[in-house]
Amino acid sequence: MTRALTRDEFSREAIGYIDHLYRVAVHLVKETQEAEDLVQETYARALGSYEQFAAGSNLKAWLTRILYNFFFDNYHQKKRWVSVESNSSKDTESAYWEKVPADNPGPESHLLLKELSTKISDALRKIPEEFRLPITLVDMGDFSYAEAAEILSCPIGTVRSRLSRGRRLLFNQLKEYVATEEKKRAKR
Amino acid sequence: MKCDEAQELITALVDKQVSDQERSSIESHLKDCQRCQFIYRQEQALKREIGAAGARLHAPAELRSKILSDRRFFPGLGRSSGSWTKRILPAWPFPRPALALALAVVLILPILYFMRTPSEPISLAAVEIQRKIIGGEISVRKTSNPDELRKWQIRAVNGEFTPMEYDLSSMNIQPVGGVVQEVNGRKMLVTVYAGNGLSVTCFTFLGTEEDAPKIASVFIDPEKKMKFYSFSKDGWNAVLHREGSIICIVVSNMSGDELLAMVRAKVQPS
Repeated sequence: MTRALTRDEFSREAIGYIDHLYRVAVHLVKETQEAEDLVQETYARALGSYEQFAAGSNLKAWLTRILYNFFFDNYHQKKRWVSVESNSSKDTESAYWEKVPADNPGPESHLLLKELSTKISDALRKIPEEFRLPITLVDMGDFSYAEAAEILSCPIGTVRSRLSRGRRLLFNQLKEYVATEEKKRAKR
Repeated sequence: MKCDEAQELITALVDKQVSDQERSSIESHLKDCQRCQFIYRQEQALKREIGAAGARLHAPAELRSKILSDRRFFPGLGRSSGSWTKRILPAWPFPRPALALALAVVLILPILYFMRTPSEPISLAAVEIQRKIIGGEISVRKTSNPDELRKWQIRAVNGEFTPMEYDLSSMNIQPVGGVVQEVNGRKMLVTVYAGNGLSVTCFTFLGTEEDAPKIASVFIDPEKKMKFYSFSKDGWNAVLHREGSIICIVVSNMSGDELLAMVRAKVQPS
């Protein structure tokens, strides 16, 4: 059986995840200051209840869950995991599929992504939260679907479907950015 | 399988989260469908770029300091020495602070005097060497050829170990010189980097993590599975870490948080 961590050991391990928690926080709230408050509060809560952490289990997931729950209780207006079937994001997503060419269009899309990588964080903030969170957890936080589902308190299948649609929405956001930039260049 | 049905499985394949049965079914569809092959490659590239965008996002140094210096959260990690009283005197029996202070002076100071370390630990000596190098009290072998300097240093320790090196060129910081020093009978290879108004000196020697000073704050990097010891002396910040039997201390005029972040980013687990 794994020995329980002392408070000091717990603190030292926990601070190692500050970059990860900040990454999640900046994609949950709008303002940087709010993200910082969220991370600080996460540490306060985690340290306040560190004895409940089961030694040997996933500390990164445990901390992320504290952060998400605190965000949900204090910053969130909507109910948890609202249905997205009827909202406009479905239309935006369909538009993406129509643009995908039937034949192999070559590597330029990959180059486009490379060029746009600095814009990804901004674009991510523009897509609905229910798609943004699984992307943040799985693609930035390296969580498995099962871990992301546990953090978000939803079924694994929901994580998978929202990731799938979320990535397409994100790609659309990035393409829109390119179109706007091209228009700007043409006007110059 | 229709293309519409394949989309979620493509996502799961990109994330390596498919069952064996799902894998064989999606791979068989991809074999026959160029459009879905393209989507698969595009989604792989997007995932990679999202990960890279995330890796560039770091918690601000002020936030890290704010959390580390809050003794409610991290009583053992803060740089303040205030918490030692709690360890020595867990149940302080004196209600009157003035009396307590007087007794502390009379009883504890002599104990601390006799408990003091007889000679300066090697890690603090490194900071002292840095101060002397910058003050011109220790002269370094200047070089524009880092390879030649490195060979000279390796010869000085009979090839027992090699100086740890960092590529700081992205920060416009280059190696400018080096020296070999001996502290408590142990040889240290010292490489001096400079540029951009910053001074970074790397001390390499054989040792253990016990060489970190007691005042150091310990940071565990769970991804690299390494410990970093951060400490300050005379206005210089330093970070010590171990790679096998080699200890490296980086001393700089950068802020403690920046230095720690830089060292963590540059080192590879041994």
